[in-house]
Amino acid sequence: MVVLRAGLCPGLTEEMIQLLRANGIRTVVDFVSSDLENVAWKCSLSYKALVAVRRVLLAQFSAFPANGADLYEELKSSTAILPTGSPSLDQLLDSGLYTGEVTELMGAPGSGKTQVCLGIAASVSLGLKQHVLFLDSTGGFTASRLYQMLRAQTEDEEEQASFPGALQRIQVVRVFNIYELLSALQELRDRLSQQVVSSVGPLKLVVLDSVSAVIYPLLGGRQSEGLALMMQLSKELKTLAREFSLAVVVTNQVTRDGSTGPLKPALGRSWSFVPSTRLLLESREAPWEKATTQRVASLAKSPRQPTGVQVELDIGNGDVLEPSPVTPAQGL
Amino acid sequence: MRHPFPYEHFRNKSFVFFSLVGTLPLAPALRSRLAAAGFQTAQELLDTGPCGLSKEIGISREEALEALQVVRQECHGDAARTPGGSGATRKCTALELLEEEQTQGFIITFCSALDTILGGGVQLTKITEICGAPGVGKTQLCMQLAVDVQIPECFGGVAGEAVFVDTEGSFMVDRVVDIAAACVRHCHLIAEAQQEEDHREALETFSLENILSHIYYFRCRDYIELLAQVYLLPEFLSEHSKVRLVVIDGIAFPFRHDFEDLSLRTRLLNGLAQQLIIIANDHKTAVVLTNQMTTRIGQSQSTLVPALGESWGHAATVRLIFHWDNSQRLATLYKSPSQKESTIPYDITVSIPLGWRFTDGSTLSAVKEFSGKSDKGLCSLSVAFQLPSEGKQ
Repeated sequence: MVVLRAGLCPGLTEEMIQLLRANGIRTVVDFVSSDLENVAWKCSLSYKALVAVRRVLLAQFSAFPANGADLYEELKSSTAILPTGSPSLDQLLDSGLYTGEVTELMGAPGSGKTQVCLGIAASVSLGLKQHVLFLDSTGGFTASRLYQMLRAQTEDEEEQASFPGALQRIQVVRVFNIYELLSALQELRDRLSQQVVSSVGPLKLVVLDSVSAVIYPLLGGRQSEGLALMMQLSKELKTLAREFSLAVVVTNQVTRDGSTGPLKPALGRSWSFVPSTRLLLESREAPWEKATTQRVASLAKSPRQPTGVQVELDIGNGDVLEPSPVTPAQGL
Repeated sequence: MRHPFPYEHFRNKSFVFFSLVGTLPLAPALRSRLAAAGFQTAQELLDTGPCGLSKEIGISREEALEALQVVRQECHGDAARTPGGSGATRKCTALELLEEEQTQGFIITFCSALDTILGGGVQLTKITEICGAPGVGKTQLCMQLAVDVQIPECFGGVAGEAVFVDTEGSFMVDRVVDIAAACVRHCHLIAEAQQEEDHREALETFSLENILSHIYYFRCRDYIELLAQVYLLPEFLSEHSKVRLVVIDGIAFPFRHDFEDLSLRTRLLNGLAQQLIIIANDHKTAVVLTNQMTTRIGQSQSTLVPALGESWGHAATVRLIFHWDNSQRLATLYKSPSQKESTIPYDITVSIPLGWRFTDGSTLSAVKEFSGKSDKGLCSLSVAFQLPSEGKQ
C-alpha cells in the first residue's frame, strides 16, 4: 500500500499525481492494476509516460528473480556454521548454528537458556574471532559468568591474553521494551547495510535473550497490537539473518495447557513459524531433591535433523558447557 | 550476487529512514491509519508535516503534531544512542560490563552461606526473587537487607539507601530497630577491634536514627497502587540517587485475587517485570521481590511451586526458594546467571538488643557469623531477633 508521491520514481510528477488522484488512483497498486489506456484518456495524460512510469514502478516494487544455481552458489559462499562450543549441542544442531537462520532456545525458568546463550557468545567470540551482538531484555547478561566461561575454555596463558579482545567483540545492548528492541535492530541493519561494521570486524551472531520478555507485556487482556509488533519483530529478525548472513539466536519461554499438560513454546502459533530450528531445554529433577540437576536439550523443530533427538547438557559446574557424555540419540 | 535489499532506495541515508511506521510507539489505531494511508518510514511522516498529515489521514492538527513529536523524539533518541551519547549506559561491550561488575559491591545478607551461594550477596542491577511458605523468613531477610544496604563502604557495604514497598502490611518497624541496632553495634565492634580512622568517621553518621530515616517505606494496598508506585519509582530514584535497594515485599499478594481475566494479569505482571528491570539497570539498584508458594497438582503427586505462574518465573534474574525440611530451614538457589544451583541450611537466631551482655551461647554464634565464620555448617540469617529460641533445637 504505497501511496503515489512525487519523486517516487522519475517521470512521476506532482501534476500527474493530482490528476490520477482525481480519478481514484492513489496507490502504486491502484496504478499498476489499472487499465492505462483508459487512464490516459480520462486524465488526458500521455500513454507513453504512463507506461514508462509503470515499468519503473514494477521494477522497483517487484521481487528479483534468481535461479537455483545462483542461489546454491550464494549459499556456499555466504553460509557459515558456527560451533556453539558444546559438542552435544553441535550434534543436535547438525554441527552448529547456521547463518541466515533463526534458532530458538526455549525452556522453563532456570533451565539454562541464558547460560547456553553466554556459552555460544563466548565460543563465537573467542574461538572464531567473530563479533557478537547480545541483545539483553531480561537483565540476565552477566559478564563475570562470561569471563568464567572463557577461562574454562583454555588454560593456555597466551590465549588468556586474548580475553579482553574476545570480550570487546561482544557488544551488549540492553533493550527493555519492544520499541527499543526494534530500533536497535533497525540501527544494526542500517550499520550493516552501510558496511560501517567492516571497520570493526565482521558480525556473525545476534543473540536475543529473551524475545518473550518484550512481547509478553503487550499480549493478553484483549489487546491486539502485540501481535502486530511481534510480526514486525519476526520480519526484522528474518531479514537480518538472510540479508547479512547472520546467525540469530532467540530465547523463548514455555507454557502449559492447564497445570499438567505437556510443555509447549510460548507466543503461540504465529511465532512458531519464525525460528527454523527450535531447541527445548529441560532440567530433569527439581534441584532441591537432588544435588546435581541433569539438563537435557531436545530438538523440537529442525530443517535438517529428525526431531525428538535428545542430548545431555552440562552447564552447572561453575565452568562452561563442557563436553559431556552423549546419550544415544533417540530419533523418531 | 545478492538479493536486492528491500529498502534499496534508502540505502545510503541515515537510519532514521529505516524507522518503519509499524515500529513507532504510537497508538495502535493511529498506526493502522498511517499504514492504510501508505506511510512507511518515519522520514516520510516528518516530511509531510502536521498539516499535511492531518489532511492525509483525517485526524486533528493537534493529534498530528503530537504524533510527529513522538516520531521526532524517537529519531533523535536513536541519534543520541550512538557511542558517547546519553544512551551509553544501555550499550557497551562485554569488557566494559565486566569491569563494571567487578567494581560493583554486593549487599551482604550477614549469612555467610547464603552470601556464598549468591556469589557474595544480593547483586546490584539484578532482580532477586525470594519465594517461600509463610513464616519461613522472607520478610525478615528483606528487612535485614534494608538495613545492610546502608553499611558504610569502609565496612564492606555499599552505603546506600533502601526503598521498601509493602503490599501485605508485614513490615514491622520495631523489628527493623532491633536489626539496625545490632548492625550498628556490630560495626562498633569491628571499629574497636581494628582502630582505623575511616571506621570511626563512618560510624559517626551510622546511627540507628540515620538508618531508619533512610528506609523509604511505601504501603500499597492493591495491585493498582503497586503498579502506580513502580511506574513512579524512577522519578523518586532520580531524586534519591543513593538508593541501592528496592524491596517489594509481596509481589504475589495483590495479584492473587481480583482477577477474572488471567491474560490481563500476565500482561500486567510482565510489564511490571520489565519496569523493574529498567529500574535495576538504570539506577544501579538491587531489586528484591518476595513471592508466595502455591500447590501444583500433578498426575501422581502435588508439589509446592512459586506463585504467579510459569511465565513469571522468567521475571527475576536470581531466584531463591526458602523451604522447610522438617524443622530445618533450607534455602535453595534455583536460578542464577552466575552461580550454580545449591541448597544450604540456615537459621534465624536470637536477638542482641543494645546493652545486652554476650553471655548466651547462641548470641555468640551470631556474632561469629558477622566475621564470616560458620560453625556446624549452619548460618544465622540475622543478628537481631526477638524470638529467643526459634531455630535452635
